[in-house]
Amino acid sequence: MDPSGIFSTSYARDSALVRTRAQWLALALFGAALLLYPWLASPRLVAVANLMLVTSIVVVGLQITTGYAGQINLGQAAFMGVGAYGASVVEVKFGLPFWVAVPVGGLLAALAGWAFGLTAARIKGFYLALTTIAAQFLFVFVVLNLPSSWLGGVNGFSLEPARLGPLVFDSDRALYHLFLCSTAVMVFGAFGILRSRHGRAFVAVRDDVAAGMMGIDVPGTKARAFVLGAFYAGIGGALWAYQIRFVSVDQFTLFNSIWFIAMMIVGGLGSIVGALIGTVLIRIVQEGITTLGPDLIEFIPALSSDIVFASMNVFLGLVITGFLLLEPKGLMHRWNIFKATYRLWPFPH
Amino acid sequence: MQRRPFLTCATAVACGLLLSTTAHAQTTINVAGLADFAGPYANVMNDMQGGRLAVLDWWNKEFGEKLKVRIAMKTYDTRYDVAQTASLWPGIKAELKPALVLGLGGPDAAALQQRLPEDKVPMLFGTAAYGFGWKPGQWALNIRPTYAHEAAGFLEWFRATKLDGKRPVKVAIITSEATPAYADMAKGLQSYTKAHPDKATFVEAIWTEVQPADLTLQVRRLANAGTDVIVIQTNTAQAVATKRALQALGKNIPIMLSLHNGVAGSSRALGDANGFAGDFEVGAIADASEDDTTARKFYRMLQDKHGLKSSWNAMTMIGLGQSIVAVRAIEAAVKAKGADKVTGEAVHAALLATPFTSAELMGLLPGVDFSVDSPFPTGSAKVNVATMKEGKVVRAAGDVAVPTVPKW
Repeated sequence: MDPSGIFSTSYARDSALVRTRAQWLALALFGAALLLYPWLASPRLVAVANLMLVTSIVVVGLQITTGYAGQINLGQAAFMGVGAYGASVVEVKFGLPFWVAVPVGGLLAALAGWAFGLTAARIKGFYLALTTIAAQFLFVFVVLNLPSSWLGGVNGFSLEPARLGPLVFDSDRALYHLFLCSTAVMVFGAFGILRSRHGRAFVAVRDDVAAGMMGIDVPGTKARAFVLGAFYAGIGGALWAYQIRFVSVDQFTLFNSIWFIAMMIVGGLGSIVGALIGTVLIRIVQEGITTLGPDLIEFIPALSSDIVFASMNVFLGLVITGFLLLEPKGLMHRWNIFKATYRLWPFPH
Repeated sequence: MQRRPFLTCATAVACGLLLSTTAHAQTTINVAGLADFAGPYANVMNDMQGGRLAVLDWWNKEFGEKLKVRIAMKTYDTRYDVAQTASLWPGIKAELKPALVLGLGGPDAAALQQRLPEDKVPMLFGTAAYGFGWKPGQWALNIRPTYAHEAAGFLEWFRATKLDGKRPVKVAIITSEATPAYADMAKGLQSYTKAHPDKATFVEAIWTEVQPADLTLQVRRLANAGTDVIVIQTNTAQAVATKRALQALGKNIPIMLSLHNGVAGSSRALGDANGFAGDFEVGAIADASEDDTTARKFYRMLQDKHGLKSSWNAMTMIGLGQSIVAVRAIEAAVKAKGADKVTGEAVHAALLATPFTSAELMGLLPGVDFSVDSPFPTGSAKVNVATMKEGKVVRAAGDVAVPTVPKW
């Protein structure tokens, strides 16, 4: 919210995502830094960034379903798996290029999301949570039990690197640019959706039991939230498939779904930027733990591997618990308070 | 400066440089160890890691000093997570430049199996192999054949010794669909029984939860079908649930376990130190039996001279077995190429070209011979069968030949 006396004088200005020159400058510098990142960072950090970008898409999808539309979803990893398998089938079985396989993966995941969205129209809360957990198990059951010539069964799928004309995305640096473009498109799309009437309907369904009386198609809105969230997960899953180049069911577990929720909580429910920040922060902590561990053992040999790594895991758990206890609305809430205070300064908030 | 002090200083500097040159003459070959100290295998990782480090220390002192080579291992915690392994690998490759990776399990294989051939770094696993990894030209290699091969070796021994070879063994498997690895065990066993109907008949695969609460109904079905042996290679929880079901039904069908869920650990989980008496644990690696085997002697020597603190159990054995193949492969690569030319490619070539005998592997493994066609030993594969007597693990049979199992 802008302070008193500051208001937009045109519709274009009011609806603009980037509103000031300073914001444009900051965005341009940030974009340039992102583009140059693979040349400035070590190979490991580029690989970490790749994972962050792919995970961001999945968590943004979860933010739409849960953070905006209020529909709890504990099966986001399963939808990601559907996308990964969908893209793999399209590439391996039909020989189609990755730029076809990735959207098809997303659409197949959206189809799966639609099926679960229909249940969301009838049930909510605890029962919906249980139903989405079922998605996890159903996904594993279907992949392992269908004929292995269809979905690879226990063998999984091996993929060739993604290609776009002469470009081959077979290195972490090349993948980084592919994932950065994909994430930018998906995040921009999410902003657009959430500022549309569909986005407003999501928030209305989440916040107000009277949304139906206001003329909003509540069951349809819930189903759409699931479809969109699953589509994002599917795109993320398809990109994941091209990063790892091997897909099997045990890569998409309930544990992963819980991590996605943790990322959303840390960043802040109901914020696209929050989903991105949460993903980056959790991943930094995870990677920091893994990186520091071997060095700590090297410098302090008295500490054995099991003590160091286990302690680090406890630390990671404490970070998440700390957020839930001290700032349950996430980092974006804290940032919004800071922004409002800064804009009103020197007056009290 | 006067002449005498100058000469003294110059001599000291020259000696220092000379010593430093001698020290640098030793070539260091890096190995990356992937571990899980913060994930599902955290509670057993220390034993496995202890085994890995003790073998490296032993080799560096016994062989490395003569060859002027030191093998250094840096350990990375992957949390048994594909994403973590995938994000770690570019850094490991760039910073450590490993000639070999000691992997832990499925997530490491999933994350790296497409990258290892391109990066030309081989990876060794201490666990048994899976059918889905049975492809030619692999860089991720298992020191043991598949779980199905290990079960097949046992079944042929069981048929010959317990049934006098008169009829096929009626075998059932209890497993889970939770992971491809568990499902693969059943599919492999089915493949074996289908190819050898005169040796074994497949009764049924019981698909259950990873941690089942009760299996009485399912086990009754198996008992009524006249099952001779129940195979459980997944985990301790399924072994315990099956044992409880057998006890409740008053049946005595032998259970064949793998090493990681062996008779000692399963008995402890059952709450009876002799609970799995008469059952079997099988693996193509030395068992943690009380017998005075070559592997046991090697273990004791590592305890005495190389600070091995890990207990005498299957996880230690997996760590010992994995690293003994690693050091022998690096040794072969050093002899073939020279110490300063040992790359991942050279170690991979040595792994494929060198048949390692049981004696070279200190009795920890029956012998290992990789080929381009299969990423696990087949020709030299043999299994050890251990059982439980009076609360102790004792060897029932050693070096039992593994039959051929068709790909599945």
